[in-house]
Amino acid sequence: MAVISLPYKYLERLTRTDRKTILDKIAFIGSDVERIEEDHADVEFFPDRPDLFSPEGVARAMRGYLGIETGLPTYTVKPSGISFTVDPQLADIRPVLGAAVIRGVEFDDESIQSIMSLQESLHWAVGRGRSKVAIGIHDLDTVSPPFRYIASPRNRAFIPLDYSEEMTMDEILGKHPKGRDYAKIVQDFPLFPLIVDSNDHVLSFPPIINGERTRVTIDTRNILLDTTGTDTRAVGVAVNIICTAMAEAGATIGSVDIAGVQTPTLAPVERTVSVSECSRLLGVELTASSMASLLQKMRFGAEPVGSEKVKVQVPCFRADIMHDWDLFEDVAIAYGYDRIQDLPPKTFTVGKPHPVQVNAALAREIFCGLGYIEVMPFTLTNEDVLYKKMQRPERPGVLRVMHPISIENTVVRTDLLPLLLEFLTLNRHRELPQRLFAVGDVVDSCLTYQQGAGVSIHRDADFSESYASADAVLHELSIDYEVEESADPAFIDGRRADILVAGKKAGVFGEIHPLVLNAFDLEQSVAAFEIDLRSVLGSAGMQDIS
Amino acid sequence: MAELTQNEKRLLATLEKEKTADASRLAGLLDATTGATTQWAYLAQDKGFVTIERVVVKELVYTDEGKIYAKNGLPETQLLKVILPGTTLADLQKYEVFKIGFGQLRKKGLVKVEGTSVVKVPGASTAADEEALKNPSVADPGTKDLIRRGLLLESEAVRYTIGITPEGLALAKRGLDFRCEIGTLTHEQIVSGEWKGLNLRKYDITKLPKKAYPGKIHPYQRIISEMREILLEMGFEELYGGIVQQSFWNFDALFQPQDHPAREMQDTFYLKETLPLPKGYESVKAMHISGGDTSSTGWGGVWKEEKAEQCVLRTHTTSVSIQHLAKNPNPPIKAFCIGRVYRRETIDTTHLAEFEQLEGVVMDEGVTFGNLLGLLREFYHRMGFTGVRFKPSYYPYTEPSLDAEVYVEGLGWIEMGGAGVFREEVTAPLGINYPVLAWGLGVSRIAMLRLGLKDLRYLHRSDVAFLRETPALRHSKGGV
Repeated sequence: MAVISLPYKYLERLTRTDRKTILDKIAFIGSDVERIEEDHADVEFFPDRPDLFSPEGVARAMRGYLGIETGLPTYTVKPSGISFTVDPQLADIRPVLGAAVIRGVEFDDESIQSIMSLQESLHWAVGRGRSKVAIGIHDLDTVSPPFRYIASPRNRAFIPLDYSEEMTMDEILGKHPKGRDYAKIVQDFPLFPLIVDSNDHVLSFPPIINGERTRVTIDTRNILLDTTGTDTRAVGVAVNIICTAMAEAGATIGSVDIAGVQTPTLAPVERTVSVSECSRLLGVELTASSMASLLQKMRFGAEPVGSEKVKVQVPCFRADIMHDWDLFEDVAIAYGYDRIQDLPPKTFTVGKPHPVQVNAALAREIFCGLGYIEVMPFTLTNEDVLYKKMQRPERPGVLRVMHPISIENTVVRTDLLPLLLEFLTLNRHRELPQRLFAVGDVVDSCLTYQQGAGVSIHRDADFSESYASADAVLHELSIDYEVEESADPAFIDGRRADILVAGKKAGVFGEIHPLVLNAFDLEQSVAAFEIDLRSVLGSAGMQDIS
Repeated sequence: MAELTQNEKRLLATLEKEKTADASRLAGLLDATTGATTQWAYLAQDKGFVTIERVVVKELVYTDEGKIYAKNGLPETQLLKVILPGTTLADLQKYEVFKIGFGQLRKKGLVKVEGTSVVKVPGASTAADEEALKNPSVADPGTKDLIRRGLLLESEAVRYTIGITPEGLALAKRGLDFRCEIGTLTHEQIVSGEWKGLNLRKYDITKLPKKAYPGKIHPYQRIISEMREILLEMGFEELYGGIVQQSFWNFDALFQPQDHPAREMQDTFYLKETLPLPKGYESVKAMHISGGDTSSTGWGGVWKEEKAEQCVLRTHTTSVSIQHLAKNPNPPIKAFCIGRVYRRETIDTTHLAEFEQLEGVVMDEGVTFGNLLGLLREFYHRMGFTGVRFKPSYYPYTEPSLDAEVYVEGLGWIEMGGAGVFREEVTAPLGINYPVLAWGLGVSRIAMLRLGLKDLRYLHRSDVAFLRETPALRHSKGGV
């Protein structure tokens, strides 16, 4: 999430109202106020609204929402006369270039910070960590147009930002902190993207680092914006958001010629939407004119077309408007969620529990009747607990997560018993006897189903207890079963049995093997059993993808 | 006034005559140990019938070696007796006590060695030492020497002097019922009628003998069950689905772009398993690329089958409900699912890599965003939260989207789940032609508030003592 710092004085000047009015209403346009400080507020905005990642963008939206200035904001763009060429060799490397000239900026420490932070937020929300979009901001007066966006040999050297000596681009990837952070985006290409001016001075090695030459300072008056990437739409959005934010701050925007096309235009996109569809979606009675004025409050250009349509001008910075419903959400926000009549759906329906959960609840009831206390272990565990400590071979169907967070959580549980024994270890210092059970999901291959298991630890826990308990659960669940000598190494030979239902193994019970007790640091005998609850009539396992 | 035990009665009866006596003497009279007698006295003291005076006395007690000498005489005494004129050292060495006894005799200067003979000095006697051993006294220098020799030990003994109070005396004088007390009634006593004449022991009802721990449902499971019941009462059908889901159902069918950050390895648990894409997946693909037949632009870019085939541990139960809707596109559908979901988060007190999510969907002709707000208000009210409010939010697969906040006394407004109307980009390619209202919330968040837990891990790695102590019925106030 993007947390934007909003300095009150700047925000008040841009919004043309006081901070209290702004902060009272800011959550209603879609944000969370994180911190209120002496001189600024930190406010979190959602990733679908990168146009709100700057004080200028927030002020623009708040002027609309508060009724200070509504409708489409318009921006004048004049051709700057500056041009770029794009090297066709970039087609498979980083083909898309966007650029603009921003003149007449007046920076102070705060506003430089603000534009840098907008740049970083856009890298995160629109640029997918610079891979999709990367933005460079340069002091235009340190270089001379026209500019060339080229695929350069990797041994080309220049002085990167924050350094005083030349480095080759390969060296930058190895040594410069930004080089190391983003190397993975370009390192496999034979040539690297590079932007140079007419004197072959380097402006930028996108998406890694700018050159030191074009560093932006408080004295910078004119900016050259470069935006490179792999996706035309995303690159365009980033350019539009930065340009319109700077225009809000008082700068003038100039377009550039990129391979024969003048860009950006900062022109709105038109969409004609249905009033009745919007009314139906929101459950609010709207007219074309009420809907248009609500949209204007959200800074759209909007005018009724007859009684059923509204023609909407979507400003160029609203990257999130993909579908008519995206506009309808803005109508709802402008209307106010608290004003929408909230009546539950009227259709009569009957509640229906799922058989797997009905049986699970029944199994829990039976375990409780036998004096067992429920525990709810994690489903992520590791091979050591699940198999090694149990003296059991690994199940072929065990699922390993590809990038575990720790060695504790490497696999999804295939059984419950090992986790119950782990619980006994955890509770060694508590009064005995302890009888614990778990009913829950296990996964074998890609199949999820439920098992129930119980353990009983005390001086006299033995095979008979495990048999009696297993039998009670099976009987209460009306499961017809047979028993057979088991070979499960987790139990003592001669004190273990497999539960067979319709000839298939559906569980096990017995007295836990001392080797297993030792492995779990347990000092009393344990009677244990586990039952596959798919043997309960009517609760088949759920195949995930049918 | 609590009832007297048989033994307390016997003690009082004895004290009626003795008035006051040392515990050891009373023990002798009662044919019991001093310890037991003192214990009975303490019980009777609690009821105000006796007084106990505890005195600490310094005593000298014999060591095992000291006991033997007290009986047989000190080794030097034993040797001295057998020294006659002409007795040689060799003669004396035959005695077991020689080593200690001869050393002591030499030390005390009672004998002399003349050549091979051993001679008593005139007037040689150990009488004073023997006296010190027979009647030890802390002040006696001879006794001190015996302590040094390890024959006597100084020890502190506690003596109890037990006396009867006027109340005790009065009670004893009124007469005590000495019939034998019966603990557990036997089968014979019950059927024969013998019970009529028996003196059944009366218990001290102020003391719980031993706690019993019933088998019970986990407090977290109770909260889950409560939510489940609320949704069943509200006419919802329960869904159950697999933990392992294909990326297609977990992300793509929900219009989550393939390059969305949530789909990255550091946020989602991927498995090496893959599953073939369902029939008709192409319409989902088309929606991503170009918006299909709707007013949407789609995400643009590329959409790769391989990415959609990959299995993940479900990041939300929406993967289950969307499949239910795809299979049952005819309204009305009201369904919910409570199940475990997975996020690749570093585990700490407030974040777990796995947690329970509750999710509900309503698909019906003409349902609106306003109906969703009404449904949520009803649901949270039934959960016990009286204050409920909504604010705009963002979820990739809903539009409009909202966050619900509930008011909790002492904590203020707390975010308690997200909701929205499924985007047309989600419903259209699956053949769902009616609006779908959806909402979800983290169940553990409510559990943490209700159970007053500081650490979420405690729900899954619980202390048995916590489970035993947490009552099945916990009165909640304002939802927590």
